Amino acid sequence: MGQVYQFAKDKNCSVMTRVTDPIAYKRRKLIVGALGVASLGAFGNLRYKGRISAQASQLSQDQLETSDKDYIELDRSTLSLTERRITQKYAATNYNNAYEFGWNKSDPAHQSGGFTMRPWSVTFDGLCHRPGTFDVDDLMGMPFNQLEERIYDFRCVEAWSMVIPYNGRPLRQILKAAEPMGSAKYVAFTSIFRPEEMPGQTAPFSAIEWPYVEGLTIEEAMHPLAFATFGVYGDRELPQNGMPFRITLPWKYGFKSAKFVVRVTFMEKQPPATWNQTNPREYGWYSNVYPDIDHPRWSQSTERRIWGDGDIERIKSLPYNGYGGQVAHLYPGDNKKYR
Amino acid sequence: MIRALVHIACALPAILLFTGWQYSYLGVDPEKTLIWETGIWGFNLILVVLLLPVAAKWANWPELRQYRRAVGLWAFFYATAHFFFFVIFLLGWNIGNLPKELSERPYITFGFGAWCVLFAMAITSNHYAVKHLKRAWKKLHILVYVAATLAAIHYILMVRSDYGWASTYALIVLLLCGTRLLRSKKTYRWLKR
Repeated sequence: MGQVYQFAKDKNCSVMTRVTDPIAYKRRKLIVGALGVASLGAFGNLRYKGRISAQASQLSQDQLETSDKDYIELDRSTLSLTERRITQKYAATNYNNAYEFGWNKSDPAHQSGGFTMRPWSVTFDGLCHRPGTFDVDDLMGMPFNQLEERIYDFRCVEAWSMVIPYNGRPLRQILKAAEPMGSAKYVAFTSIFRPEEMPGQTAPFSAIEWPYVEGLTIEEAMHPLAFATFGVYGDRELPQNGMPFRITLPWKYGFKSAKFVVRVTFMEKQPPATWNQTNPREYGWYSNVYPDIDHPRWSQSTERRIWGDGDIERIKSLPYNGYGGQVAHLYPGDNKKYR
Repeated sequence: MIRALVHIACALPAILLFTGWQYSYLGVDPEKTLIWETGIWGFNLILVVLLLPVAAKWANWPELRQYRRAVGLWAFFYATAHFFFFVIFLLGWNIGNLPKELSERPYITFGFGAWCVLFAMAITSNHYAVKHLKRAWKKLHILVYVAATLAAIHYILMVRSDYGWASTYALIVLLLCGTRLLRSKKTYRWLKR
């Protein structure tokens, strides 16, 4: 391999010139190309490993944090299930579905660094007597650290779950302040559209139309379990978890709980819901947890409970995610209507 | 020398995953990481197998073709690990559910189809099979293109919203199948007719 010596064919030129053998040239190019692709892969792997080891060192800190806190004392709600093991904060804040920031579970934590969280205002409109726009701090109605803390089971439609402490207040307290009219049968939630800060909103092959929209019947929205959420684990600065303002509905699949909410609209007709519109065969409008109704691509009868300390437990899923005692009366008749 | 490098390169993802599992570097949901990474590496190596003859021709380096067996067996290794992790973590060892999953969920059907093709090629990858199957061996092993197509469909059917990577893989498979068809003598004869 390498160079061959060759006399130039031009008779006027008697100088011996070095010419690269075309085959050797191509082979060399192939090797360089393959090395390039391989190093790209290796670099990707290194980055992946670096990221994860950085996470591992963080993990021990978070472990300390959560075990130090006494969640039983913090919990003032009669609705919360007390004395419960909760998922490590690190897991709940680094394994998220917020497609606004990308479809990888780690994207929301990694891509949300530049997200502007203040000021944040929420508009209430539609069929209500007191429409208006309010700052998120006013919606809380009290200092953040005095908000109620509730420990809810969070069940993702992808058949995994976590146990998470949420900070907020019942959604109905906020909705009542807007004085919905008698004709308001539904409440629609609109998430923020901010493509310059949310890379997932400009993803070229995304099947989702932005902004994210969700909706509830007025009875669901007024249910005491429906929780207006301003933080998790006593922390407000977590865009990956949908802050500054999100809704939490523990008896429904996670995607039903709209994140980054900027608009709440009272309506007479059923509002659209993003996943239901994107793929109605796979995601129903109500999105209640029904273990006996499979997602077309996987079974919903069990779930993988992620504790975040390396422990993943396979447990049986429960109707309405275990909150049936409180919410089943909202859904008379055949479950299939409320999937 | 090159053979050793090929094996080391192909083993690298498995080694990283294994150490990651040992030292819990696989993120919040290591089960999902294992399923995902073994699947994508199986697919990557199938693509390498398809690329080798193209590269061999382009660089006039016929010896490259002989590494198809090594890389192909590694692809089968990753696909098997992928299938195994699916059975452990997603089915929870509930093998009784497997027929239901296979018949009701198309993405699993296609993925399993791809694995079956790889399995058939893996068990006939020895000299004995080459000798005894003769012509049938060639026909059997051209199925690697079918495996790649099934894997591409398997990947696309799994997407929830972002089709970027899945369609990139599908496009590469399409291109490689196209170049193979153009190279085949049959196509040449058919075109000349």
